[in-house]
Amino acid sequence: MADEVDFTSGDAGASTTYPMQCSALRKKGFVVLKGRPCKIVDMSTSKTGKHGHAKVHLFGIDIFTGKKYEDICPSTHNMDVPNIKRNDYQLICIQDVYLSLLTESGEVREDLKVPEGDLGKEIEGKYNAGEDVQVSVMCAMSEEYAVAIKPCK
Amino acid sequence: VKGGGKASPGSPSHAPPSMVNNEQRQHAEHIFLSFRKSKSPFAVCKHILETSKVDYVLFQAATAIMEAVVREWILLEKSSIESLRTFLLTYVLQRPNLQKYVREQILLAVAVIVKRGSLDKSIDCKSIFHEVSQLISSGNPTVQTLACSILTALLSEFSSSSKTSNIGLSMEFHGNCKRIFQEDDLRQIFLLTVEVLQEFSRRENLNAQMSSVFQRYLALANQVLTMFESSQNVMLKPTESWRETLLDSRVMELFFTVHRKIREDTDMAQDSLQCLAQLASLHGPIFPDEGSQVDYLAHFIEGLLNTINGIEIEDSEAVGISSIISNLITVFPRNILTAIPNELFSSFVNCLTHLTCSFGRSAALEEVLDKDDMVYMEAYDKLLESWLTLVQDDKHFHKGFFTQHAVQVFNSYIQCHLAAPDGTRNLTANGVASREEEEISELQEDDREQFSDQLASVGMLGRIAADHCIPLLTSLLEDRVTRLHGQLQRHQQQLLASPGSSSIDNKVLDDLYEDIHWLILVTGYLLANDTQGETPLIPPEIMEYSIKHSADVDINTTLQILGSPGEKASSIPGYNRTDSVIRLLSAILRVSEVESRAIRANLTHLLSPQMGKDIVWFLKRWAKTYLLVDEKLYDQISLPFNTAFGADTEGSQWIVGYLLEKVISNLAVWSSEQDLANDTVQLLVTLVERRERLANLVIQCENWWNLAKQFARRSPPLHFLSSSVQRTLMKALVLGGFAHMDTDTKQQYWTEVLQPLQQRFLNVINQENFQQICQEEEVKQEITATLEALCGIAEATQIDNVAILFNFLMDFLTNCIGLMEVYKNTPETVNLIIEVFVEVAHKQICYLGESKAMNLYEACLTLLQVYSKNNLGRQRTDVTAEEDQYQDLLLIMELLTNLLSKEFIDFSDTDEVFRGHEPGQETNRSVSAADVVLYGVNLVLPLMSQDLLKFPSLCNQYYKLITFICEIFPEKIPQLPEDLFKSLMYSLELGMTSMSSEVCQLCLEALTPLAEQCAKAQETDSSLFLATRHFLKMVFDMLVLQKHNTEMTTAEGEAFYTLVCLHQAEYSELVETLLSSQQDPVIYQRLADAFNKLTASSTPPTLDRKQKMAFLKSLEEFMANVGGLLCVK
Repeated sequence: MADEVDFTSGDAGASTTYPMQCSALRKKGFVVLKGRPCKIVDMSTSKTGKHGHAKVHLFGIDIFTGKKYEDICPSTHNMDVPNIKRNDYQLICIQDVYLSLLTESGEVREDLKVPEGDLGKEIEGKYNAGEDVQVSVMCAMSEEYAVAIKPCK
Repeated sequence: VKGGGKASPGSPSHAPPSMVNNEQRQHAEHIFLSFRKSKSPFAVCKHILETSKVDYVLFQAATAIMEAVVREWILLEKSSIESLRTFLLTYVLQRPNLQKYVREQILLAVAVIVKRGSLDKSIDCKSIFHEVSQLISSGNPTVQTLACSILTALLSEFSSSSKTSNIGLSMEFHGNCKRIFQEDDLRQIFLLTVEVLQEFSRRENLNAQMSSVFQRYLALANQVLTMFESSQNVMLKPTESWRETLLDSRVMELFFTVHRKIREDTDMAQDSLQCLAQLASLHGPIFPDEGSQVDYLAHFIEGLLNTINGIEIEDSEAVGISSIISNLITVFPRNILTAIPNELFSSFVNCLTHLTCSFGRSAALEEVLDKDDMVYMEAYDKLLESWLTLVQDDKHFHKGFFTQHAVQVFNSYIQCHLAAPDGTRNLTANGVASREEEEISELQEDDREQFSDQLASVGMLGRIAADHCIPLLTSLLEDRVTRLHGQLQRHQQQLLASPGSSSIDNKVLDDLYEDIHWLILVTGYLLANDTQGETPLIPPEIMEYSIKHSADVDINTTLQILGSPGEKASSIPGYNRTDSVIRLLSAILRVSEVESRAIRANLTHLLSPQMGKDIVWFLKRWAKTYLLVDEKLYDQISLPFNTAFGADTEGSQWIVGYLLEKVISNLAVWSSEQDLANDTVQLLVTLVERRERLANLVIQCENWWNLAKQFARRSPPLHFLSSSVQRTLMKALVLGGFAHMDTDTKQQYWTEVLQPLQQRFLNVINQENFQQICQEEEVKQEITATLEALCGIAEATQIDNVAILFNFLMDFLTNCIGLMEVYKNTPETVNLIIEVFVEVAHKQICYLGESKAMNLYEACLTLLQVYSKNNLGRQRTDVTAEEDQYQDLLLIMELLTNLLSKEFIDFSDTDEVFRGHEPGQETNRSVSAADVVLYGVNLVLPLMSQDLLKFPSLCNQYYKLITFICEIFPEKIPQLPEDLFKSLMYSLELGMTSMSSEVCQLCLEALTPLAEQCAKAQETDSSLFLATRHFLKMVFDMLVLQKHNTEMTTAEGEAFYTLVCLHQAEYSELVETLLSSQQDPVIYQRLADAFNKLTASSTPPTLDRKQKMAFLKSLEEFMANVGGLLCVK
């Protein structure tokens, strides 16, 4: 690996995951379990026999669906870790079931749906009341959803 | 009440479940519960007892009587209590066929009456004993059983442990009762019991019924003898008044006789052995002089040897017998032990040796069979511990007295832990090997901890017999090294011949690993002690042993053996003329070398991480004790030790280099084995934390610099290590930087270690497009690695480096606040940033002088402001939202508590440690930790929801924090902004009413300083003054109207008294209101008297310590008399 990391290059076409040795994963971090991006809620190790090598048990919850997954693998193995991105956008309007969002650079995105459930209702309520709202969007493994809102100052 | 009786067909114990629905059952239960609370139920209860045929109803009636007697004690005439007791006792005597649980409950009521009466001295206990002894002499087993039940009930009630009924009295009362009881009544019971046992022990054939009576009295005897427990251990320390009873040798003999008679009955043998174990622990004023103690001991040991010699010990006897021996050795002083006849003492030690070895073998069998109940293991533990006690203070015995015994016990331990043919590990009784590969979780303790007590004893015995044990360990280890090397080579050839074949049987390897595992553990415990904090010393036995043989030792050959771990020890000419201790160390280095070579030959997958752990664990333990021996600490020092590991020797330089190499190799190869990596990095910390000597050697090694540079580059393999290992590694690297080196080297070191961290960090965050790229994975990883490293740096803080480290870290903290803004939507990063602040505050605040502390306070405040701004009004729905917030708030509470700790742990001397680091600047700001913390609480409070308080750790941390604040800065509370003040008061109220009792206690503790503050300020219109008035009513109700928890009395009492002082008029009003609501003139009068008595010693109440103590004392009596009285329906 190079001594200096080049941070300026863009990420177009970049992989949505990267590999990491199991032992370097951390609780509260992320991992791909059964093909789904998960937050690691618990991690434990075990070994077969006193002189065996460590195995890691991973317990995660799907960051989008909340479904629980677990896996077990030798601690020397590599696991995929999802690239997680979070962006905050200004809500401009709601059309049909889609949000119009203003990015930092001044572009408009219109490809995100109003989320289901309470948050969606909250967004619609605030929008209809004419309040300015900032929407946090989380993206991992080519899936992207609005996950939080905060009133603008 | 009639309803209660009629409800019986539907009561829980009678109707089949199908006939009653849940509602009916609850209803029935409710009827009973309210019946038990009814006022003066005595006549009704008597009537029920005499007429009802339903057991459950009888039981409830007995319970109601018991509860009512205690509740209404002060309202009852003494004579009616007396007659109630007589009624209950007669009732039981006349009905031999009562259900057992009914009978026991009635007897419990009797016992409670006797006990409560002893407080008034109004009930005479003696008549009970008279009645009981008559029952015993009846010769009728049923009646004798009943007599036993009466005595058992009394005993349980007086024993002042968890068995005592909750009758709302203080622990002090229970304690006093017990003391008085032990003097006389208990002895009566014991004598009655001994009589019965004597009678039975004389009989030849006991039928089943008599045998069961016998068993009950034996259990009772055991209960009597264990009643003398002090706080921790159950030991027999009776008063002088017991002298005649217990020093009568017939008593001791009786229990040996009884045991011999019933030893095959598992249950009874438990009791008889327990009685003997108690007698073996006899000590204190009961012995008039040493002579009597010697006689007693000699007599006891004779009895013991007669009982166990020549018999085959039953499984159920092992633990009991070892308790007896352990008690004898622990309780009787050495000079008494050696004063018994020599032959007797020798037989005793021989017997101990024999039993230890035999229990050890049986314990090993238990392990093979994987038994749940490991009785021999427990017995073995006790005996090994006894050995440690026995030999630790050996000046009373002539030198070498225990050597042969030590050899035997040591050999048998080693034998049980080695595989065949040298040992018997994993062999079943008939010699069949069993081998199971079980799944071992990380929660399972490592053998070195699980068996630390055993190993400490065996290590100690090994030192006593060093002449035998050190060479034995050496030859066993050297043999295993050779075999391991050979076995690995065979594996390698096989792999080369047929790559990918996995048909290799690992049994031979596993056996070798397990042998080496135990040999290393024993060697570690033999050569060095566990120490915490203090400098560990080379055990004197080891030092003497080395000195004793040093005349026959060739130093150069010794160094050669040490310095050539790659060669077979026996291949070195003159290898037999080497220092044995150094040769034992070099045997372990040879194990380590085989491991390293296997790694180089790509055989890592065949190695045992457990063995790797053992090796670094040993090296750490060894290095702490032996490396750079400090001559000043010893009377005399072994020449070989001094030459090989002394300061400024080639030997020590070589060893340090070797250890470093091992550390570096392990961190690279074993990053996937968290425990091993952790042990390895701990070894590194050991090498650098003693920086005046050892660290200087370490930093002279090229490898050290390589490690530092490699870590700074964040390249593989070091960045595969888990975050906790990386933090510790960072800590070690920082500690090393404070070793003595010249200015240029120091400069270079900082340039290599800390500056890259700063530079990389600044490079990242100062990029123009940082905002845009901050979510990119590489960037996030870079940030995370930096934050982790900061935590590690904080961990390295010590008083003499805090000045440098604080200044270094402060720059980062400022930048971290900027990061909070950038990563406000990235919870894991936010969480880690807060953690950095927590760590810095935790490790450094106590050393910081005023101006530095101010800097840190300010940084923390800004952090909290940013956090609050970003989270207020933010709504998250992602699945981990609640968990994330909980984690953040927990850390914030911790941060505030850490900051607050400055007020009571402060090592700073007005920037003493910073002198010379900056020009003296005057600070005229005076912000205290309290201001910061209160401000912090203000920011955090709106984020704390009642839902979040349901996380117990968060809830406790929160209440700990606010109690702290009230205790340390009561004067700040009235000045709080109104909203914050209200939330704080609301939190206290909530904590007193609807949280755990621990939290309630904390809140009560917070009230006292608040009330004192009001009294001091003398403002009767402040909101705090009004709030405390409300709290007075709350505490008053808690004490008088609610079911009372005696553990809380002190906290309640203190808060209550201070509040009463503050609001005397309101207090009188509360009392008046309460009294005026009483319709019963008797209760009214008793209550009024009780209240008068309560405040009699403190009128008018003032905040004076003496008065307060008097009040607290009266409060206990008050609670005993009226506590619960008003809960009556």
